[in-house]
Amino acid sequence: MDENLIFNLKKEVIEALNLEDYKPEDIDTDAALFGTGLGLDSIDALELIVLLERNYGIKIKTQEESKAIFQSIRTMAEYIQQHRSK
Amino acid sequence: MILLSYCRINDKCVVKDGKIIISDLPITHSLSHIYRYLQLDYPKFFKMDNLSKLGFLGAELLLNAHFQDIENRQQKRNISIVCCNRAASLDNDRRYQETIKTSEFFPSPAVFVYTLPNIVTGEIAIRHKIMGETSFFVLPKFSAATIWELSQSAFDDSEIDYVLSGWINFEFGKSDLFLTLLQRSQNPNTNVNETILDQLYTKYQ
Repeated sequence: MDENLIFNLKKEVIEALNLEDYKPEDIDTDAALFGTGLGLDSIDALELIVLLERNYGIKIKTQEESKAIFQSIRTMAEYIQQHRSK
Repeated sequence: MILLSYCRINDKCVVKDGKIIISDLPITHSLSHIYRYLQLDYPKFFKMDNLSKLGFLGAELLLNAHFQDIENRQQKRNISIVCCNRAASLDNDRRYQETIKTSEFFPSPAVFVYTLPNIVTGEIAIRHKIMGETSFFVLPKFSAATIWELSQSAFDDSEIDYVLSGWINFEFGKSDLFLTLLQRSQNPNTNVNETILDQLYTKYQ
């Protein structure tokens, strides 16, 4: 896995979700993004969908797809690596 | 109705019940500065728009001190929220407009959800588990008389014992908050009137 991609993705998530008290190193790459872990909500999920489209040219089409992608920073990074057009 | 407590937040100071809590705020201070000074712990604060942040801070100052069960977060059906301002959610509306002004735009859902002024009353209600009615009015300018009248009418609901009411305005980067916590009273001698509210607002300009 590209560690630079993971680091940059963490920075982008922090900025997009206004996680003011977080630094990239505070986010566990494998921790759950929703529920426990970062404790994100449904609006955050929409922001992450926008982030993937804006920064990586990835359009997510189904809810099932998004559930799998947004499990953790690692699953997001893996999906980006395979599907990015930017 | 009795005035239990009041607070004032503007670009110069934070005042509660006549006591200055923060003064000499730096010119470029942000509402996050006040949040950190008050040592609050509510990460959702950082996701709010400026209007909601401002109202949130005022409500924290008043409600945490008066409702000691804050840690247990018991649902409160006997509190109503009535707030007013001049600029509605214009500060955030402008921010949202910035995200959609180009042809290839990516509107931000997190910014969009705050493009209504009454979201601030909802944020306060969620934080403090307030189940009473909440309302938000947009006025041409600060009016103690209108705030007094709206607060008084909130007590028409017999289940309401307390009303959190006042002025929450955020416009062109400037904060202007005056919030009161009022309690139902049967004794007319203890009633607060609009003149007192107006004096308290204008005292800290």
